[in-house]
Amino acid sequence: MAKMAEHPEGHHDSALTHMLYTAIAFLGVADHKGGVLLLVLALCCKVGFHTASRKLSLDVGGAKRLQALSHLVSVLLLCPWVIVLSVTTESKVESWFSLITPFTTVIFFVMILDFYVDAICSVKIEVNKCARYGSFTVFISALLFGNFWTHPITDQLRAMNRAAHQESTEHVLSGGVVVSAIFFILSANILSSPSKRGQKGTLIGYSPEGTPLYNFMGDAFQHTSQSIPRFIKESLKQILEENDSRQIFYFLCLNLLFTFVELFYGVLTNSLGLISDGFHMLFDCSALVMGLFAALMSRWKATRIFSYGYGRIEILSGFINGLFLMVIAFFVFMESVARLIDPPELDTHMLTPVSVGGLIVNLIGICAFSHAHNHTHGASQGSCHSSDHSHSHHTHSHSDHGHGHSHGPAGGGMNANMRGVFLHVLADTLGSVGVIVSTILIEQFGWFIADPLCSLFIAILIFLSVIPLIKDACQVLLLRLPPEYEKELHLALEKIQKIEGLISYRDPHFWRHSANIVAGTIHIQVTSDVLEQRIVQQVTGILKDAGVNNLTIQVEKEAYFQHMSGLSTGFHDVLAMTKQMESMKYYKDGTYIM
Amino acid sequence: MGTIHLFRKPQRSFFGKLLQEFGLVAADRRTWKILLFGVINLTCTGFLLMWCSSTNSIALTAYTYLTIFDLFSLMTCLISYWVMMRKPSPVYSFGFERLEVLAVFASTVLAQLGALFILKESVERFLEQPEIHTGRLLVGTFVALSFNLFTMLSIRNKPFAYVSEAASTSWLQEHVADLSRSVCGIIPGLSSVFLPRMNPFVLIDLAGAFALCITYMLIEINNYFAVDTASAIAIALMTFGTMYPMSVYSGKVLLQTTPPHVIGQLDKLLREVSTLDGVLEVRNEHFWTLGFGSLAGSVHVRIRRDANEQMVLAHVTNRLYTLVSTLTVQIFKDDWIRPSLPSGPVAANVLNFSDHHIIPMPPLKGIDELNPVTSTPTKPSSPPPEFSFNTPGKNVNPVILLNTQTRPYGLGLNHGHIPYSSMVNQGLGVPGIGATQGFRTGFTNIPGRYGTNNRIGQPRP
Repeated sequence: MAKMAEHPEGHHDSALTHMLYTAIAFLGVADHKGGVLLLVLALCCKVGFHTASRKLSLDVGGAKRLQALSHLVSVLLLCPWVIVLSVTTESKVESWFSLITPFTTVIFFVMILDFYVDAICSVKIEVNKCARYGSFTVFISALLFGNFWTHPITDQLRAMNRAAHQESTEHVLSGGVVVSAIFFILSANILSSPSKRGQKGTLIGYSPEGTPLYNFMGDAFQHTSQSIPRFIKESLKQILEENDSRQIFYFLCLNLLFTFVELFYGVLTNSLGLISDGFHMLFDCSALVMGLFAALMSRWKATRIFSYGYGRIEILSGFINGLFLMVIAFFVFMESVARLIDPPELDTHMLTPVSVGGLIVNLIGICAFSHAHNHTHGASQGSCHSSDHSHSHHTHSHSDHGHGHSHGPAGGGMNANMRGVFLHVLADTLGSVGVIVSTILIEQFGWFIADPLCSLFIAILIFLSVIPLIKDACQVLLLRLPPEYEKELHLALEKIQKIEGLISYRDPHFWRHSANIVAGTIHIQVTSDVLEQRIVQQVTGILKDAGVNNLTIQVEKEAYFQHMSGLSTGFHDVLAMTKQMESMKYYKDGTYIM
Repeated sequence: MGTIHLFRKPQRSFFGKLLQEFGLVAADRRTWKILLFGVINLTCTGFLLMWCSSTNSIALTAYTYLTIFDLFSLMTCLISYWVMMRKPSPVYSFGFERLEVLAVFASTVLAQLGALFILKESVERFLEQPEIHTGRLLVGTFVALSFNLFTMLSIRNKPFAYVSEAASTSWLQEHVADLSRSVCGIIPGLSSVFLPRMNPFVLIDLAGAFALCITYMLIEINNYFAVDTASAIAIALMTFGTMYPMSVYSGKVLLQTTPPHVIGQLDKLLREVSTLDGVLEVRNEHFWTLGFGSLAGSVHVRIRRDANEQMVLAHVTNRLYTLVSTLTVQIFKDDWIRPSLPSGPVAANVLNFSDHHIIPMPPLKGIDELNPVTSTPTKPSSPPPEFSFNTPGKNVNPVILLNTQTRPYGLGLNHGHIPYSSMVNQGLGVPGIGATQGFRTGFTNIPGRYGTNNRIGQPRP
């Protein structure tokens, strides 16, 4: 309030100025900010007036008339003030004549020129261009006015109540103002430039008329949109349908519950350790969420893009989970090395109950998942045995091949996703155990070195346990021949060679696509007198027995290669080929590989 | 099967194998350049990590992870050299091209996981903001920035360049493109630098450095420590934004999906195939990208009972071969066991092909007038059906078939000796499996490019 009383610019001339000053000071802002506020207020009023004037000018009959009327109204509004002020305060004006030039300039610029320029612009130029260039002129003229405000010539025009040629130490134009004006111009240009959006569609083709057709839908092949509650309901139903996703979901719920209890308790007791541990748990849950999504998505129907179905997502998710665990192991390792060098003092009294709780939750998870793990393991083995069984049932001639083989030690449980989730839970459990052990050691013996040692050990354990998962997932992703079918496929290919009428085969590709799809392609050459369909049937039978369930067989006869050479070689190729043949005539027969 | 184990190489240690593979790549000079950069990267990262712990700044840590990502990208580059050298092995019958994709996927996912850790750490830091020392902050920033830019611009990282071109733009790129489009409207000269889309790695390096500079200024001026956490979150989010489209792209390749941009072309080709004479339906079509760019696929074609299978097969293969380089087409007929009337003459006709070889054709006389696209004779009088089969193809005559007993020719076939014998020696002797099987085809007069899969030499688009 004391500020209000002192007037740094000297005595205020009028009550109006004083009132404004009081109001601004009441808001608690500095003078120049108050000026900006006033300007903003005036701007808002101007915008309001503009929007209203569109309608009003129609009612009144022309924009010019409206302008005149509005000036009249403003004069009428200001008249009482002028009269009151001129009566109550003593006049400072020496000569009314010196005021004529300022008045005329003000009237000319503000009332007349402004209106006509505005009217002409709005008629002649497009709206967006008008806005664009109008802003340029505004900024540039503001800059010029600011620069020339202190110039002697302008003094003549603006000198209302001050002695002319007064040496003023007013605001000088600084470099910042110029820079900001330039940026204002640039930004106004950028904002007012016509938007170039809408180029994101992909060209599909051309219409019959020849105009290009674009597709603006991102992935039109996949889904139609659903309402959110229905989507949640549907996905919940889907989650609960299958064993894997149900288990992950229940465990996720348990984990989240524990996390929120921990967070809530942490906030309640204002314990930072608890809260950060809760965040850590939340972070771990992200792996579970990913596993859940993968388990859910893997059952979606095949689409144009995912032509084999979505089953492979489980493997990818297992891979990502493996990478996740490796990163965790790496960070724990780094942290524990740092602590080995400089072991910090720990406050252990809060750790035990939390870690015991975490341990219990994770043990439940391990029980559930290890069950599932063994289950899938057993199931895959069982199914494979049954396939072996049917195989021997079908073709009796090959009953002597190894039945007693065991599957790869780690590749047995095919569901990489579940393995990833299981390993994650295992790592968490190890973490809790490590915390409990190190707490006991610290409390009993005061070995502060125990904590980093424990975490070092855990990091190495996690790392070692993840390697098989990553290796398996990599092999599947790199389209390796599935290791567990290697022998069967070898046998099957040998058997294929013995098929009557078959000359040879080439490009045998067999790979595991997902947990229950093993795909294969093979090209087979046969003599020209056998029926292709019979060969296809025989080969399909043999490879199906070997475990390949998505098969494509290309049966080629000599005629095929003749057609191919006819279809695809031009004149020059044929010429080159004949030349080559000529030179090859002199080779001895029988030396080539066959 | 004892034979596999019998001849299997004695298990070398992991490092021995690694050294052996490295020997393969080490012949190249670019490899040494990459290794040099790798060593510099490691020292740089070590220094940065030290400065991170001394400044206690998490934003600098987030930025350091970008340097570590650079290390991964160098490794990917090395892998791509290795992949170029390696031939498909019996077990990895498609070759190792996908290893490149896997490396890109793994490094982008690792970068995102690092960003996730940063997010988690910074949430914890919001609860309790530690003090940041600005001493090495700016130094670290500029060391990391200059090193990252130097690596990005001086090493031609083919897989990452491809992915960053092919993947959809990240939101960071979108925003910068929006901005720079407007800026280029004012200064057209900049459009060569900014406009189509900026290199995402350069972009994120610059943006991260910018965030760190702001952090430095605010901490120096105002001691406003929370800005460090905020800029760490910003860098982590930008990392997410940059890496996510790339990992989606490479993940889709790994998931064996049809790339959306070829679907239009594929549809066109499949429509063409289904209009061929005798083709009833095309189904079970699976097309997917093998590495970056090369398509593989398999398709089942159902044909009429009286159609000529080999002719249809040749035409279908010819159509699709332009787009799909590793192709398998299965032709099938319904009810093929039941003998049908027209099938008799067809079979006879097919058999007649073998007679053609013996007749010496006038070599290369009429070839000029032949239409190389179809194998059917063009009838000048009436517009012919697009493909009428059961007529011996006119381009079939190319002479060559005279000497069916000669040694096979073509690039796919005559390198056969060495791999075959070495394969036997290595004990992978079961002849069934392996792409080197191509030379075992019975037909000696196949043009080489259909004999084996010479995918290795193919340029990528």
